[in-house]
Amino acid sequence: MSSSDPTQSEYVTLVSGDGFEFIIPRSAACVSGTIRRMLDPSSKFSEALSGRCVFENLSGVVLEKVCEYFCYNDKNKNQTNVPDMDIPPELCLELLMAADYLDT
Amino acid sequence: MYGFNFLHIMIMIMLLIARRANTRQTRNQIRGPHSALTDFLASNNISAAQIHDDYQRRLREAETQANAEQQGNAEQGNAADNDDYEDDIRESPEEKKKRKRKEAATLAKIKQSKEFARRKARRIGEPDDDDDYIAREMMQERSRPLPGQLENCDSCSKRFTVTPYSKAGPYGGLLCAKCSKELGDKEKKSQPKKRGPRTTRRQNQSDLLDGIAQEGALSLVEMCTKKVADNINDIDEFGDLPSQLLRRLSQILSKRRAMTPRTLNLFLRPDLGFIDIYDSGKLETDDFEKIFTFMPALTHVNLRFAGQLKDRVIDYMLGRDLKIKHLQLDAANLVSDQRWQQMFKKLGGQLETLRLSNMDFSLDDETVEIVSKSCTGLRRLKLGDCWKISDRSLQAIANLKSLEHLSLSLISETKTENLVQLVSRIGSNLQTLSLQGFSLADDTLLEMIHSRCQLLTKLRFSDNSVCTDKGFVKLFENWSNPPLKFADFSSTRDVDNSNPDGPTDATGLASNGFAACMHHSGSMIRKLNIASCRHISYAAFEHVFGDGKSYPHLKELDVSFHTVIDDYLVGRIFRCCPAIQKIVAFACFNVRDARVPKGVMLIGGLRAQELV
Repeated sequence: MSSSDPTQSEYVTLVSGDGFEFIIPRSAACVSGTIRRMLDPSSKFSEALSGRCVFENLSGVVLEKVCEYFCYNDKNKNQTNVPDMDIPPELCLELLMAADYLDT
Repeated sequence: MYGFNFLHIMIMIMLLIARRANTRQTRNQIRGPHSALTDFLASNNISAAQIHDDYQRRLREAETQANAEQQGNAEQGNAADNDDYEDDIRESPEEKKKRKRKEAATLAKIKQSKEFARRKARRIGEPDDDDDYIAREMMQERSRPLPGQLENCDSCSKRFTVTPYSKAGPYGGLLCAKCSKELGDKEKKSQPKKRGPRTTRRQNQSDLLDGIAQEGALSLVEMCTKKVADNINDIDEFGDLPSQLLRRLSQILSKRRAMTPRTLNLFLRPDLGFIDIYDSGKLETDDFEKIFTFMPALTHVNLRFAGQLKDRVIDYMLGRDLKIKHLQLDAANLVSDQRWQQMFKKLGGQLETLRLSNMDFSLDDETVEIVSKSCTGLRRLKLGDCWKISDRSLQAIANLKSLEHLSLSLISETKTENLVQLVSRIGSNLQTLSLQGFSLADDTLLEMIHSRCQLLTKLRFSDNSVCTDKGFVKLFENWSNPPLKFADFSSTRDVDNSNPDGPTDATGLASNGFAACMHHSGSMIRKLNIASCRHISYAAFEHVFGDGKSYPHLKELDVSFHTVIDDYLVGRIFRCCPAIQKIVAFACFNVRDARVPKGVMLIGGLRAQELV
């Protein structure tokens, strides 16, 4: 993951199955192993070229929470005793499936 | 009546002594016969009647004075039950004027007070921020009854005694004890629980023991799994949750002792080939049968603390013709030996893994002999804390040529020659050898391990006080076995209280043995436990963790009860073991201010500093 590569923008776009788009910093999104591999420039995937990942199987609500986690994780790195993020109970199973898929 | 009298006279005496008109408190009349106290006072030349008259006079003065303030209350009829007070209600126009004037003066006074300003500031913008309203409210509050008096409850209208703890009611009055309590409970409930970031020392230590020393946030998967476990009772089904997440959920729920018959249903999926219940303590006999009913594809069965797993369940399981290959049962000590034998005769051929622990007086030597005859393809065998197993079982296990992993922890004492025989016959094939609590085994066993075992990656030999340091040196010197990844020699030491320093030729893994062990396995070792090997010297540690030594894979080290370990040695360990994650150092009294690198757990040190 070479962030110094000039062709790579600092932000990436994540799109949910129902069409919501989330633009977040590349470094934060790459916490997810799945997204990191999608965006790996050496892979020549279309996602890597366009900087746009579409997740057909994730709803906007779930992807929003995932993006919130990315930023929460980015904010809390190198810190100890990080308080847990607030997850609404009705979302936790879906989010768990998404987290497993995203390898986060 | 007597009680009333006594109380009031006591008050009067206090008033008499203080010579102070503490007014507008009580409106109750004093009546009744002479009390013993009155007589006593009379004998001391104090007239109760005089006190009474004085008191009445002061009361009247006070009432007229307080009239202005108490008008509000008086109109509500509070004073109606007082004969003296009735006159005041029928006041003349002059008196009314006077009262109004006084009230206005009091209001003005209140408006200048600090308390008023504070209240006003608090209420700005609210519908009731009118000056007069606030001032009037405060005036009424001032005229509220004081502790010890009787009052009608503001909410339920019951008569009650005012205490300092009486709470204000919704209409400006006071509440009785019951209503006050209800109000208090409501307030308590409505307060949200504050949970700030967990920074307490206690929480840190708790996390360390749970193995959490990482930086940054938990992974999203872990966080969600915890959340799911929190809300397990609201979940109807897991859907097609991946198997590793199911296992993790089962672990978390078991740790919280939340694996109930209801929760179990979530884990019963006909498509799955495994069931892992780490705490079946709350499951009933029927629940175990349900597992085998709903999951015909089972190959892995792992049920721990399965106390209610009885003969009936074994019968049912055998009737279902399951293709179980890996069986782990813990604490199923109500199963009879006859059933065990039936089970092994039937399943024996297909079993690859068998782990049985805490069977207490279930499972005897005869059953183990059946296992050795029937389970011809067994690769992994673990028997722990089964009280009846002894020498005959060791002889039987020696016939299991297919074994690759063997783990034994017996309660009854066994003869060394049986153990030596066992290693000699199947040792050459073993990758794991774990022998716990063979207290009589001597150096001949170590010699046999040295000569027969060539594939070991994990070796545990603990709780022994016979094998000598020389024996351990011989074991490791020129051993054809590749370096061990896991080594545990905890509690191999001399235990003679009358000779605390131990014999001159050290018993157990001591200085030389430790050096030989690290020389042999240091390049690959991941986990090392040398707790309570108390004859390892400071010099030996200094040598093993000296300059230029490196143990690149060592992640976990247990050096508990090594009193020679100090801050310097802990520092050396950190330097020589770049991959270290966890050092257990209980009762290492010289570890005081060790600097612990980030992400490393130092457990049990006296005053180990927080992360550097």
